[in-house]
Amino acid sequence: MLRVDGLCYQYSPRTTPVLSDISLKLPEGKIGILLGRNGAGKSTLFKCLLGINKTHRGTACLDGRDLLHMNAAQRSRLIAYVPQEIQFGDMSVFDSVLMGRISHFGFHAGKRDYEVVSRILEEMHLSELSGRSVRTLSGGERQKTAIARALAQEPRMLIFDEPTGSLDITGGQLILEEAAKLSRQKGISILCSLHDLNQAMAFGDFFYFLKDGTIRCQGGRELFRQDVIRDVFDAKVRIIEYHNEKIILQGGRRNKE
Amino acid sequence: MKLESESIAVQKRIRHKKITMIFILAVLTAAAAVLCLFTGSSGMSVRDGMDALAHRGSPVNIRILWNIRVPRIMAALTAGAGLSVSGLIMQAVLNNPMASPATLGVSNAAVFGANLSIIAFAGGFLSTGHNVSNYTAGVDPYASSLIAFLFSILSVLIVVELCRVRSFSPNVVVLAGIAMGSVWNAGTTILQFYATDVGLSAAVIWTFGDLGRATYRTDWIMLAAAALGIVYFQRMSWRYNALQSGDAAAMSMGINVELLRGISMLLASLITAVCVSFLGIIGFIGIICPHSVKKLMGQDFRFSTPASALAGSLLLLLADTLSRSMGGGSALPVGAITTLLGAPFFIIIIFSERKGSCGC
Repeated sequence: MLRVDGLCYQYSPRTTPVLSDISLKLPEGKIGILLGRNGAGKSTLFKCLLGINKTHRGTACLDGRDLLHMNAAQRSRLIAYVPQEIQFGDMSVFDSVLMGRISHFGFHAGKRDYEVVSRILEEMHLSELSGRSVRTLSGGERQKTAIARALAQEPRMLIFDEPTGSLDITGGQLILEEAAKLSRQKGISILCSLHDLNQAMAFGDFFYFLKDGTIRCQGGRELFRQDVIRDVFDAKVRIIEYHNEKIILQGGRRNKE
Repeated sequence: MKLESESIAVQKRIRHKKITMIFILAVLTAAAAVLCLFTGSSGMSVRDGMDALAHRGSPVNIRILWNIRVPRIMAALTAGAGLSVSGLIMQAVLNNPMASPATLGVSNAAVFGANLSIIAFAGGFLSTGHNVSNYTAGVDPYASSLIAFLFSILSVLIVVELCRVRSFSPNVVVLAGIAMGSVWNAGTTILQFYATDVGLSAAVIWTFGDLGRATYRTDWIMLAAAALGIVYFQRMSWRYNALQSGDAAAMSMGINVELLRGISMLLASLITAVCVSFLGIIGFIGIICPHSVKKLMGQDFRFSTPASALAGSLLLLLADTLSRSMGGGSALPVGAITTLLGAPFFIIIIFSERKGSCGC
């Protein structure tokens, strides 16, 4: 379980805090979604959990282990990261995924590392691409390769920063389905940021609404209400129900002229 | 299970292909070294050369071979490998294809140090003579190199300290390097303004890269620096691969990015400082060779590190042979030859199509 208590972050003592008193819980094997406008602090929170932004105010524990006071190699075996802008060197898909094993093998990959990567590529249907250069892949294939690399770390939790941002509707849908399947199969928790509220409702188990560096509310799908969305996003939306499923439409109710 | 073994088999094929390419480069470098050993203006035949190699025959030939050619070839092999790998690593850790071994202002600092030694101290410590022999030989032939090296290291330490205040992010490092390089350039200009004609020409000649200055002592020092760096770089090859995914992704894979960047820059600059101090400026090796290797066999540092080292040695050996054969008795500056080879290469890189070229 991920448990964050009173986490704060500011770039320097003179600037206003980017994150203030963040507290959240995410049970094991569940999918948590961070929602909020650009600049709300979603990526900053991810970077604090990943040790990229250093903070000692507040606590963050995963399965009882303190994430803020461990070295990068120890943390990388607990949390893996799929960034918003995925970059790879000019390497094959197999080697790009094998890279995720660095904290396991140190300097030279061994037989077990090759086997783990081979298994992950098979599970994600990437085996046929294993010899291809990552630079020649489509956006969706690159995203899948990045997820495979994160899984190669054999983490307890995955952090996805805007996984569907650069993909079309189909690609985005496939990636989220793939991630949800892996989370179920392997019991890995996922903490993810998304902009599409309908996608978020379909994909997530728990939701954290962020505004100006604080969590306004957290909980299940019942939070998707007009007042909450108006408060967090400063946007008018309509929520309709179809076959007992909520659908969020952008824009308020049209005025009949 | 079948698919598992298939993807591993594909990987093995790619790896064997790259190892074969490295082996071919090694053979070519060895062949070039042998060619250079038996090529020169003395007109020594291959048979005489073989005899001299075995310490038989004419004492003049033995001296030419063991005191001139062998140290020169060792210098080309060592400095070529060191400068090329330093360029590769600087480009990797600074995430900048135009980064070079001299990005931290090492070469500018070395030139300033050498100018100071030659112009202010007439080529040697505390020598105030103003005759040509003092300028060309100096009281101590190593004085210019020593002062050049001290200023190179000073420049690196200043840049590293500046970065420690802010961060080791690529932009900060490159800008700090440019700033320090400009300071050394300004110092050199002022020194040269006050130099006598003879002092100025001696100082300018020092900056021309010349493998003829190499001795066994300088070769061993260069070899020690280059070997230390290359062993470290090869060991960290997976970390450099990860760094190509961006700092945040590399950190999430368990890499201490700032430490890796700091140590790598220090070692690359140390190699460059040693080579430039002993041989003068040999430009572009650190850019031409890593880029050629990456085009040929991809960026994977497990393979591009040894391949760049070999390509650097090969290019410097060939450039030195070319400079000796084009100079009509006196060798042209090898730095100029490598630069002349470098300019067209850059144009090719700029205009070539960018594709996935991981050598897969």
